[in-house]
Amino acid sequence: MHGNSGPAQALTKPVLPGAGPESGYANTPVVKVPDWYGMIACDALLNGMATGLFMTAAVSELVVPAVFAPVAKVAYLVALVLLLVDLGMLVLDLGDPLRFHHMLRVFKPYSPMSVGTWCLTIFSLPLSAAAGLSLLAEFGFDFGWARLLAVVAGLLPAFGSAAYKGVLLSTNSQTGWKDARWMGGYLTNSAILMGCGELFVLSALMEQAQATAILRTAFIVLLVLNLIPLGLLFVNLHPAHTRLYTSRQQWWAGVFIFVAGTLIPLCLTLVNSGLPFIFGAVIFLLLASWVIRFVYIKIPHASPSRNRSG
Amino acid sequence: MASREKELSALPQTSDPPRGQLSELVGRLTYPFLHGEPPKPQPATGFYTDTTVCIGCKACEVACKQWNQLPSDGFKWSGNSYDNTTELSATSWRHVKFIEQFGDILPNEPAQNRWLMMSDHCKHCLAAPCNQACPTGAIIHNEFENVYIQADICNGCSCCVAACPFGVITRSDMGGHSHKCTLCYDRQRDGLEPACAKACPTQSIHFGPIDELRELASKRVEELHRRGVSQAYLYGEAPSQTYSELHSFYLLVDRPSVYGLPDDPFNPWLHMMGDYVRSIAGGLAAIAALLFVLLLLRS
Repeated sequence: MHGNSGPAQALTKPVLPGAGPESGYANTPVVKVPDWYGMIACDALLNGMATGLFMTAAVSELVVPAVFAPVAKVAYLVALVLLLVDLGMLVLDLGDPLRFHHMLRVFKPYSPMSVGTWCLTIFSLPLSAAAGLSLLAEFGFDFGWARLLAVVAGLLPAFGSAAYKGVLLSTNSQTGWKDARWMGGYLTNSAILMGCGELFVLSALMEQAQATAILRTAFIVLLVLNLIPLGLLFVNLHPAHTRLYTSRQQWWAGVFIFVAGTLIPLCLTLVNSGLPFIFGAVIFLLLASWVIRFVYIKIPHASPSRNRSG
Repeated sequence: MASREKELSALPQTSDPPRGQLSELVGRLTYPFLHGEPPKPQPATGFYTDTTVCIGCKACEVACKQWNQLPSDGFKWSGNSYDNTTELSATSWRHVKFIEQFGDILPNEPAQNRWLMMSDHCKHCLAAPCNQACPTGAIIHNEFENVYIQADICNGCSCCVAACPFGVITRSDMGGHSHKCTLCYDRQRDGLEPACAKACPTQSIHFGPIDELRELASKRVEELHRRGVSQAYLYGEAPSQTYSELHSFYLLVDRPSVYGLPDDPFNPWLHMMGDYVRSIAGGLAAIAALLFVLLLLRS
């Protein structure tokens, strides 16, 4: 499928010498680990928070405008701030940040980073428009139709911006990452969950009772639903985790992520619909979401004899 | 090259018109978008490295450093035979590996008593994961079908570092850009062979049109088999189910992992479509759940 050689060559498979003693470079890691650390984990979190908040607010406003329009206007502004911080992190993480715009000189559909860059760039335009028009509406210049147009235009690039990140982090040769087939599925699902949580907090802060009630149910459903891609991701990563951590460490990490990321938010949301409980639930969710991303980013770095790049 | 990259790029060129700060900024912003005319395709070239005749002299390493003006990496004892280069890096595009296989070191195994040496470098993969990953278009296949990093375009995102299954590409601490073997692109354009191949005193490193190299390598394997070296085989000369052919391939006499090469290289892009599908499915499932709740409770 790759080569341009003749079929005879393609079928030629060398008879490899039998497995002998481990010698030479057999125990030396082959791949080099990129300098992607905590900032990338934060970027993955902020990316999900920004795109998820926009998508949740947009879908909610488009489906039930009477209930969600006020909170959605604020949500677009918050999403824009989150996105700007996220883009700042992406730029700062480059080896040569002053060349960030070089990403826009080509579009390569088979490069997840290229797809992500273009999605984020396109997404930033309708998001800025939606946020700006929402702000103008506060000052009495309400261009509702234009804002809704911007919201609709932003949905697809927002989804692309959320979806590329996991593919970027799984389509490579790094230990653990290369096996994480459900990383993208988890991150995109998690983005909507976090966005719902953020919108839930905003609606509670703005005392939008009906919006809060609807989002409470949605938040609970999404919390439970998110366990599916998370579980599948854990299965993908189990071999890598087994090499790096003891069973006890894995068990505690799993318990922490489940309790902090699902159980506590679920209980807090079910127990009381007051603002402190909602706030607490979302904070726990975001904390667990960051831990998952951080642990994931750390996998290739965790090998004691890894090769570093740079 | 890498060491003086920053200073050199900042120096005014005689051909440059006088520039103000604004013009400098505009130039910097627009320069990467100016695409030149691509050169006319040439016959694909590459390396064939016969490890059975390598003597570990490191002339290739030195020639590479000298020609490409790569700085010293300092000196440290690795404790691994004569290999004090330790790995390919942004400033070491050639790396001679030393493998000592002696009976007294491996007491439970039949004594082999041999040295294996291999001059390692970029594999110039036909379907190169680094090229596929690069979002700036800095990594290209040039007219000789060699994988080439355009240093003035690379912005150091490290996607290529993460993608390379051979651990070849490295981001430089100095300029922040990725560097690796260029297969002496500048020399090739002038009709010269790469510096390492030129310097190799035993003809372990062969350079030339890739088809000729394959033929040469096949004959060498047959010859070795006739002489009783039954373990000789070629690594990377033909595509496998999971990886493209390499335009820089090797003749080996032990498992690839012994030489620090992946036994079964895998192109991560084989998973990309599936990963996108799962990513989209995860998001759509969440949106569908949200929509369901909204429609259910809106009244």
